[in-house]
Amino acid sequence: MKPLKSLLLAGAALLALPVLAQAAPPDNTVVVGLSAEPSTFDPAQISSRDNANIAKHIFATLFTVTYEGEVQPYLVDTTEVSDDGLAYTFGIKPDLTCDDGEPLTAEDVAYSFNRPADKSLAFTGNTPGFVYTTLGFKSAEVVDDLHVKINISARTTLALGMMSQVYIHCKDSYEKMTVEEAAANPIGSGSYKLASWDRGSQVVLEKVKDPGNFQTIIWRVIPEASTRTAELIAGNVDIITNVSPDQVGAIDSSGTATVSAVSGTRRIQIGFNMTDAMAGQPGAEEIKDPKVRFALQYAVDVPGICTQLLGMACDRATSLVNPPNGNPDLVPVPYDPDMAETLLDEAGYPRGEDGVRFKIKLQGPRGRYLNDANVIQAIGQYLTDVGVETEVELMEWASVYQPLLRTKEAGPLFFLGAGGVTWNPLYDMSLFATPEAATNYAGWTDERWFDDYKLALAAPTVEEARPVINRMLKLFYDEGPWLQLYFQPDFYGVSSRLDWTPRRDEEIELFNASLK
Amino acid sequence: MWTFIIRRLIQSLIVVLGVTLITFVALQMSGDPTYLYVSERATEAEIQQTRVALGFDRPLHEQYLKFLGNLAQGDFGNSLSYKRPALEAVLEALPATIELTLFSMIMAIGLAIPLGVFAALYRGTSVDGSIMTMGMLGQSIPSFWLGIMMIMFFGLQLRWFPISGHVPFIMPLIQGNVVQAFSQLPQALYYLIMPSVAVGFYSLSRNARLVRSSMLEVLGQDYVRTARSKGIPEWAVVIRHALRNAWLPVVTLIGLEFGFLLGGVVVVEMVFSWPGIGRLVFNAINQRDIPVVQASVVILALVFISLNLIVDLIYAKIDPRVKL
Repeated sequence: MKPLKSLLLAGAALLALPVLAQAAPPDNTVVVGLSAEPSTFDPAQISSRDNANIAKHIFATLFTVTYEGEVQPYLVDTTEVSDDGLAYTFGIKPDLTCDDGEPLTAEDVAYSFNRPADKSLAFTGNTPGFVYTTLGFKSAEVVDDLHVKINISARTTLALGMMSQVYIHCKDSYEKMTVEEAAANPIGSGSYKLASWDRGSQVVLEKVKDPGNFQTIIWRVIPEASTRTAELIAGNVDIITNVSPDQVGAIDSSGTATVSAVSGTRRIQIGFNMTDAMAGQPGAEEIKDPKVRFALQYAVDVPGICTQLLGMACDRATSLVNPPNGNPDLVPVPYDPDMAETLLDEAGYPRGEDGVRFKIKLQGPRGRYLNDANVIQAIGQYLTDVGVETEVELMEWASVYQPLLRTKEAGPLFFLGAGGVTWNPLYDMSLFATPEAATNYAGWTDERWFDDYKLALAAPTVEEARPVINRMLKLFYDEGPWLQLYFQPDFYGVSSRLDWTPRRDEEIELFNASLK
Repeated sequence: MWTFIIRRLIQSLIVVLGVTLITFVALQMSGDPTYLYVSERATEAEIQQTRVALGFDRPLHEQYLKFLGNLAQGDFGNSLSYKRPALEAVLEALPATIELTLFSMIMAIGLAIPLGVFAALYRGTSVDGSIMTMGMLGQSIPSFWLGIMMIMFFGLQLRWFPISGHVPFIMPLIQGNVVQAFSQLPQALYYLIMPSVAVGFYSLSRNARLVRSSMLEVLGQDYVRTARSKGIPEWAVVIRHALRNAWLPVVTLIGLEFGFLLGGVVVVEMVFSWPGIGRLVFNAINQRDIPVVQASVVILALVFISLNLIVDLIYAKIDPRVKL
């Protein structure tokens, strides 16, 4: 009897396992399925979007960017800007606290700004890199307990937006930790604190203060897209990122989740590489002619690409600036291959006897952006159809394509997606801050643009810079270094039990998420 | 035997050195990793500064020799992504992979032997046909596809198994939490089933075919006929006389099998969100995190070499014809 009883008990335990393993999240918990795992929680080292999405809930910031793209004070109470625009003095809210129980003072804020800039620590995160380069950060100093001064190298209307990217952390705790310890023990000032980090599997955050409707946030690492979809449909996960268009139907018809699509801020384009590195390559000379560049805009059916390959209708971009900050007078170039052919004829590149006007190579990454390989191949065919025989070359991103881009050797045509924002058009335009800018992969040198950029950047406000900005965007539209494509749509799978709206800028913000 | 072991250990050292050299050269050939650790807006000066900080400015041979010097002291350097010792990151991920690989191997061998024996005993019947058809399928289906199909059917439709995730068993054991380890053993096994099938199905199929053909060969031998003529029961003839000799080729394969399964876990770990070394290496390669890749490769090579050594010793033990 005994063995039989044991067997029955074991059977019952096995039957109970599915319930244990597949229990839906409780009502006070929201679960997010991420495609990539966080590598660090050191605020000065964080660089990936998935990592930053978690960090945003642990570390508060001086300012925050709203869903609508406005930069609003968060920890800051008062802001004073010096006449020359090179010093910002912030009064921080009183009675703020750190996760270590200490009061959050100006000293912590100054430390949070100065620590990533410490060259001896050789940080490689987003703050010491991209943010400080764009901001022109010089130093931060304590004025008194509640006032801190941030010094920058040049006046810029981008300042507050860039400062909103700097995570405020707590000096006393960080001074006691090594860099290695800091990577695993974030001590922040945000709504949530790190409860556990099961490396490679999940990160659990527990709420310590408002805002936030859930007591617990679990960030599960699920690299494979179809597995994320299955977990969402099964009800084990509430939000998933990077849903591929072919899985939209399965999710929408599941009854347990829906797909929320949003036109993102990532600007997808074909760049015209006009640098000397392209000398001698077929098509390199031809694309230096602005008439050719404009003619090619007509050759590509962008709305068709969006509908057929990206699973979402879209408007063609008119410039490198995200809506609604673009020039309202510009109309998207329509798909008109006849017009493309006419303009190419007029530019002095008629079809030859073999039907080819000129040959060119189009390079691009595979698997970096939404359905990128198919989009690139479609564009190659569109260009070939108007007589520009295009050889498409697809490459692995990290080891092959990215180094080519960074050394400005991709091309003569290259496919790229550039992250953008909704809070300031000059941020989007700063890819072309100078002819030598690292992000000027096209090697564009039009002096009219770069002279105007200096003017626009020096204006006290974006509104005052608007006429200059519009003039620049018109120039970019007519003679710019991009074949304008689209703003990449982002697809999120959202559980039916959840009320949550995705942002355009790829940030996952859960403070306002709630149960329906 | 000791001479054999010492000779093999010396050979192992050469293999590890070769592995590190090949990995190092392959990673260096795939571009300058510095660009992955600087902002896209970094100036040339900033890029150079990072290059110096990461040590990528030094000549390749110097970088490699420095790596070997540190390796001799057990130091693989700090992970470029995780900012902590690379070896620590690898050893943390290793138990999950060992769990998956061992379980897959146990399944691949444990099931292959009876299946192969049955197929041989019932040669030409529907039993044989079914097992061999399964064998063909197992060797034709890619593991990632099988994994996804199992997730869709057994995980999502039937809800029999968890879709993804991992419950650790070995790690709590290593940390001394024996009670915790064993209390979560049923759950750990439950999470292991689908990934293990995905990893081990190919090996299971191949081993079953191997045991079958080996059994067929042995069953026709004189000593098996003699055993039968002596009136020994058929089950004893099969298990004691035939199988004992028939499974020698399978034992030979076990060492190689482990290496093969380790290779297969990379994809399966991605599909099932299994936090093992395969996924770690995949991410590290994408990030050009050279210390983590090197540490992973060396640790895996050592595991592979050690296992093969053990298999050789066992082989000598069970086959008296083999002298070490």
